[in-house]
Amino acid sequence: MIREFFTGLWRAKVHHKAAESFVAVLVGLGAGALLMLAYGYDAGKAYTALFAGAFGEPEGLLETLAFATPLILTALVFAIGVRTGLFNIGAEGQMYVGAIAAAYAGGMLSMPAGIHLIFATLFSMVAGALYAIPVSVLKVYRGVNEVVSTIMLNWTAFYLVQYLITYVLADPTRAERAIPAAITARYATIGASLTTVFYVSLAAATLTYFIMWRTVAGYEMRVVGYSQRVARYAGIPINRSITISILLGGSLAGLAGASQVLGRPPHWTVFATMGNIVNLGFEGIGVSLIGRNHPAGIILAAIFYGGLVHGGRYMEFAAGVASELVRAINGFIIIALAIPGLFDMFRRLLRRNREI
Amino acid sequence: MNRKGLTKLETALAALFVVALILAGVGWLQPVRESMQTITVTRTVTAGAQVERTITQTNVVTSTVTVEKPVSLGVFKIAVVSDIGGRGDLSFNDMAFKGGDEAVKDFGVQMVELISKTEADYVPNLETAAKDPNVNLIVGVGFLLSEALLQVARKYPDKNFAGIDTFTQALAVQQLGKPLPNMLDIVYEEHKGSAMVGALGCLVAAYHNEHGGNYPYIGGVFGIEIPVLWKFEIGYKWGCDWGLKWYEQRFGKRAPLIGEDGRYGSGPGWSEGLYCPVGKGCWYKGRVLWTYTGTFSDITKGYAAAKPMYEQGAVAVYNIAGPLGLGINQAVQEIASEKKLQSGPPYWIGVDANQDWINPGFIIASMMKRVDRGVYYATLLTVIGKFKEVVAEYNGVLTLGVGTRVGRLEMEGISVSTLEDLNEFIQMGVNAEKLTGRKVLPMPPEEIRKNVAEMRNKLPSWVWDALTELESKIRSGQVEVPMVLTKDAVDSWRELLG
Repeated sequence: MIREFFTGLWRAKVHHKAAESFVAVLVGLGAGALLMLAYGYDAGKAYTALFAGAFGEPEGLLETLAFATPLILTALVFAIGVRTGLFNIGAEGQMYVGAIAAAYAGGMLSMPAGIHLIFATLFSMVAGALYAIPVSVLKVYRGVNEVVSTIMLNWTAFYLVQYLITYVLADPTRAERAIPAAITARYATIGASLTTVFYVSLAAATLTYFIMWRTVAGYEMRVVGYSQRVARYAGIPINRSITISILLGGSLAGLAGASQVLGRPPHWTVFATMGNIVNLGFEGIGVSLIGRNHPAGIILAAIFYGGLVHGGRYMEFAAGVASELVRAINGFIIIALAIPGLFDMFRRLLRRNREI
Repeated sequence: MNRKGLTKLETALAALFVVALILAGVGWLQPVRESMQTITVTRTVTAGAQVERTITQTNVVTSTVTVEKPVSLGVFKIAVVSDIGGRGDLSFNDMAFKGGDEAVKDFGVQMVELISKTEADYVPNLETAAKDPNVNLIVGVGFLLSEALLQVARKYPDKNFAGIDTFTQALAVQQLGKPLPNMLDIVYEEHKGSAMVGALGCLVAAYHNEHGGNYPYIGGVFGIEIPVLWKFEIGYKWGCDWGLKWYEQRFGKRAPLIGEDGRYGSGPGWSEGLYCPVGKGCWYKGRVLWTYTGTFSDITKGYAAAKPMYEQGAVAVYNIAGPLGLGINQAVQEIASEKKLQSGPPYWIGVDANQDWINPGFIIASMMKRVDRGVYYATLLTVIGKFKEVVAEYNGVLTLGVGTRVGRLEMEGISVSTLEDLNEFIQMGVNAEKLTGRKVLPMPPEEIRKNVAEMRNKLPSWVWDALTELESKIRSGQVEVPMVLTKDAVDSWRELLG
């Protein structure tokens, strides 16, 4: 059984991928170190602070996981898209819609504890999926490229949600944010900023895996992703697969938004600047690429990414690295890590074109 | 293979899931242990009080009053956690870091900075600072950090926490029933400062009207209508009224145009340009044009609000919306370049920092809210070991204003900008230029100083006399500026002042 497991991993070339990722980490860290040396900072001290802060103690680890939670979900959105042959970057906007839906269901409605939380979570998932409908309709009936439609809808969502926060769901005593989720609609705090919504995100990753690799619908989606020609030849309903992929993504993006409202202390809401959710969708793309568009990889990648986000402040605190530079260094590491994933994706695209 | 139980990836996933659960399980245990620690620590604190050497309860009382900790610091750090404005905002956050820098210079402490990029950074940033054993004081800058401060200050009862403009203690009372012993909200008497610049604005209008100007109004551009801003609004309007009444007394006549005209209202209660409702005295109603723009970030709305005010004859517009001041400045600049003016009128009035340097000669003065002083005083109290004592004495809320004192220490936080403190703020602009690489200062520092001084000297000395008088009367308590916090109060004052 165990041997089978390892030979399985071997056959799936996991060791290749792991080695690639490992080299990528080294390249990224090296580039970041050079940048720090150029500005006269102690790179060793800074990296020690980064990783010790992010992973070296329970509190820090919990914080890291809290930053990883929404990224797991938005990365899944992108990964599902890639596996279906789509470049779905709509997670950002669908996540905004999910967040505002969670703020509405969590803050404006009152329900018994438990039910309220479940309802608010499902409500925001449905809202995210609903917001993804135009993307799938445009794609299926009009052949509109999903990159174009999602970019546009992301901005529509941004301003729509900002409007809703400012004028409709504004906290009457605190104009700078939407009304916070009621106590009955909050995930329980595990420690630091981590709540049990983390489990939900892990469950979502597991569920995504089972859908994609263990169900007929998932199999069809992946075939569509490999080659639409093959799919058509095999009688696979391509449009249905694309629609499922986009709507499934939308619901996960909605959940990502909800995770920041119902599952993140101490604010439990979304700010009018949307600063506490903005970019989570786009960061998910990077996380998905680092994680090779696979749920298991995504979980690891999101935790790594969350560690960079959280540990970055220790570089600033302990080694005095300017906060802007911290972001640049993290950017280097992430780009380096995403490159193998990007190659994967292009290789797949090339192969598909050759087939055609 | 598909039907033979779990595949390798599923196994990997399941293993991961288990690991995650275990990790999370550790997390479940962690806070429990933590909170037990918290309880014991609090107990020792209350039993042993602030001075470590005390043995009995009676000793505590006598010794804490008289004994000040000797300043033997070693590694003594303060941490300043910014809000999302970050460094280089030329206002709130830069002021806080400036206060920290001064504390470093004066007390020999070290300062560490943590810049929050998003709202999700507040708690981890505060915690990062609190976890460092050498950090004794953590300052959160801006009311956005209120909740985060509550959460972290509760968890680290042996560390001192201060918040600028925060309402953490109000939240603590709401949620825990009592204020935290280690948390100090530092707030400001903005209404007093607003009254001073309101008086200044209306007297400047009077002066220019004496010399043939046509300035029947002053203006105010506000941000989002939140209760905090009512303090500014009513203070400003009240100040204008005070200024015009001062003019009446000083010169034995109404201020030209702005003091006498009949355009401000008519009908019941009105007599000769004054509004005199029965039993409430007479007021210079309607002299202030005001708009709530509904934003603290959209600079174009500042321009859109200020432009018509200047067209209607506002001599100056007060900026109470942070960056929207740049929009007001744009409106002023347009008029200035159209008429080829070297200095106002029209003017505008700055807020928070000394903004006089932004467009020298066109800003009468700024209502300064000394965030830097707040950080400085919090450090001072920590260094001399009086922090928790002050928290206890003031229920955790320290109000800095005009003539405010804490014990023997003068702790002021509100003032109208002067030529003397212009230099520090020009320096802030110089630093921001270095930091961002963008041009911030409109002209070389010497020229700024020259222009501001020229503008100030052009105004008659009685304008500045009036300001000094108002300030000293506020300080001595002879006049009381209304502090408006409720909807009812703001409505009744708007009835009197427009």
